[in-house]
Amino acid sequence: MKIFRYLKSLTLAELLKGMTVTGKYFFKRKFTIRYPEEKTPKSDRFRGLHALRRYDNGEERCIACKLCEAVCPALAISIDSEMREDGSRRTTKYEIDLFKCIYCGFCEESCPVDSIVLTDIHEFHFEGKDKNVLDKQQLLAIGDMREKDVATARKNDAEYR
Amino acid sequence: MIWDQIWMVIWTLLKIVAIVLPLIIVVAYLTYAERRVIGFMQGRMGPNRVGLFGFKLWGLAQPFADTVKLLLKEIIFPANANKFLFLMAPVITLATAFAAWAVVPFADGLVLADINAGLVYILAMTSLGVYGVIIAGWASNSKYALLGALRSAAQIVSYEIAMGFALVGVLIAAGSLNLTTIVHAQSGGIFSWFFIPLLPLFVIYFISGVAETNRAPFDVAEGESEIVAGFHVEYSGAAFALFFLGEYANMIMISSLTAIMFMGGWYSPFSGDSWIAQPSILWFFMKTGFFLLLYLWFRATFPRYRYDQIMRLGWKIFIPICIAWIMVVATVKVYRPDWIGG
Amino acid sequence: MIEYLISAEFYQIMLFWLYSTILIGAALAVVTMRNSIYSALFLILCFFSAAALWMLLEAEFLALTLVLVYVGAVMVLFLFVIMMLDIKIKPKSGMSNYTKVGLLVALLMGIEMVMLLGKKLVGVLPQDDLVKHVQGHSNVKEVATSLYMKYTLPFELASVVLLVAIIAAILLTLRRRDDYNIVNPESQVHVKAKDRMRVVKMDAERGNYIGGEE
Repeated sequence: MKIFRYLKSLTLAELLKGMTVTGKYFFKRKFTIRYPEEKTPKSDRFRGLHALRRYDNGEERCIACKLCEAVCPALAISIDSEMREDGSRRTTKYEIDLFKCIYCGFCEESCPVDSIVLTDIHEFHFEGKDKNVLDKQQLLAIGDMREKDVATARKNDAEYR
Repeated sequence: MIWDQIWMVIWTLLKIVAIVLPLIIVVAYLTYAERRVIGFMQGRMGPNRVGLFGFKLWGLAQPFADTVKLLLKEIIFPANANKFLFLMAPVITLATAFAAWAVVPFADGLVLADINAGLVYILAMTSLGVYGVIIAGWASNSKYALLGALRSAAQIVSYEIAMGFALVGVLIAAGSLNLTTIVHAQSGGIFSWFFIPLLPLFVIYFISGVAETNRAPFDVAEGESEIVAGFHVEYSGAAFALFFLGEYANMIMISSLTAIMFMGGWYSPFSGDSWIAQPSILWFFMKTGFFLLLYLWFRATFPRYRYDQIMRLGWKIFIPICIAWIMVVATVKVYRPDWIGG
Repeated sequence: MIEYLISAEFYQIMLFWLYSTILIGAALAVVTMRNSIYSALFLILCFFSAAALWMLLEAEFLALTLVLVYVGAVMVLFLFVIMMLDIKIKPKSGMSNYTKVGLLVALLMGIEMVMLLGKKLVGVLPQDDLVKHVQGHSNVKEVATSLYMKYTLPFELASVVLLVAIIAAILLTLRRRDDYNIVNPESQVHVKAKDRMRVVKMDAERGNYIGGEE
């Protein structure tokens, strides 16, 4: 009936219904995570900032096989290598351009000695326009810093790899 | 003699400052409340970061941060814009928004200018606000701004009529154009307030008020999705801040007017002799706050009206209902004068 | 002297001169401005100054109505129209024939007004410089009594004439156009979900329907 329709719209019933919904949500629990204080748990497979790992005796793992350089789809890695005094092949330059990197994790997958890894660090910044390239020393330092986390994460994830 | 007059001028200026300063602070916190309330209704937190001296204080310093940011920004003049009018537009918006407060009675006797034609003065001042919008739209030399201005002008002029008619009902019921007298006519508990006998006019007045201030769901003048930001698309910095201030001052204006005209102003909803039944300025603030909350609630709930729907609502629904109800009120007032506005 | 300078009368007279100067200046600007938007804005200023003058005459209701009706509504529509039109600002040209005729007419009208009104006003104008009323004098009531009691019939007639004019104006512009798709919001708001959409209930399909066998 037309008249009932008009009466219904005059009571603003549908508008009030809508306002009840928003009114209810006003008092509902909020699920917002207050970021710097609260953080969501990160997966063991999280791909963040890069690092170069060492063996337990302090020897760097990287053997300069250049597989990561070859597999890198963004051409972000550049490596130079030379023979060290003890006759082993080692890198003299290991650089990652973080602007080019797409954090795909192929380098980590390709590495035969688990040297290059992606840590779970995702809050980082540069303070200069030429600071986007991480050199070998920086990468090793990051590795030293996060070795424990990286090792646990790799161990937890090992059976799924 | 001469000191008396000088003192009177200073006293009046002080009174004006005593109204405008709190108003500006309330506007600042209204923007904060808006973001918080709408955030809560949408399942978010809203701004809760900016605090003072390392304390977060639920983000209470946010409005000050926003103000400082806006004031420090550059005012950019569009190419070939009319600079004088471009700067005048926000000033007009703000001036008219503040001028209307001169006749608003906050409590019994607490009013800057208790003039006889207070209601007409308010209508006149609120109708002037549209000039800020029109001039801004035209002076910006931008098609979006002009479109927003034209939409806004047509909308405000249309809804002013419905608003005026709703107020005609009030003045018939109260028998006066003076705002203090209108409130006095509503003394004696919640059942003597005008919103009961004038319920349709009350609803229409508040909805028209929302349309008049270009707030959601009637915010086609801004229309972010189709005309970017409407009439103030070219504004930045302090000029934009003035528009913002004017818009929110108008919102508070409409809310307090609704409280005065229909909800008994400073009167308590209870009757009797206990402390809670005493008339107080706090009741006025509470009622105003409630209508401000409604503003925010509307914005969180309703999608934007389409333009032809706005026009239909104003002209074909509100105005006829208003006229019909004015007839009812007038008839009752003539034959049963004790029913309304005792 | 000092007493006079701070008195209310002096203040009122100063305000009168201020507002009348603005009024005349703005009125001149309305007709001399090349940009029609400026003309309209100056016309608004005219109305404002006139309202202020009425206010000085203690006719606050009329003054506010002038602002409300003319400034708040009529001039908005004026500006509306002017902004919609693409008006080219004409370069300055000397006195055209129109101006000469206009000046002549203005002169004649001025003389007539002085002749007609000058005589009448001498007797009518109150001797006092400013109209004064007792405290609490209600302007609204005075307007109401003269409109609804003294001049009821002319007032009602005028409103009927205006109503007819409104209806005529609407009728003149009201036309139905069939060449574009206009949507009637009236019918739109009453649309319910079931008018537009059919919800079909059916069992969930089972088995592989590639082979078509159950």
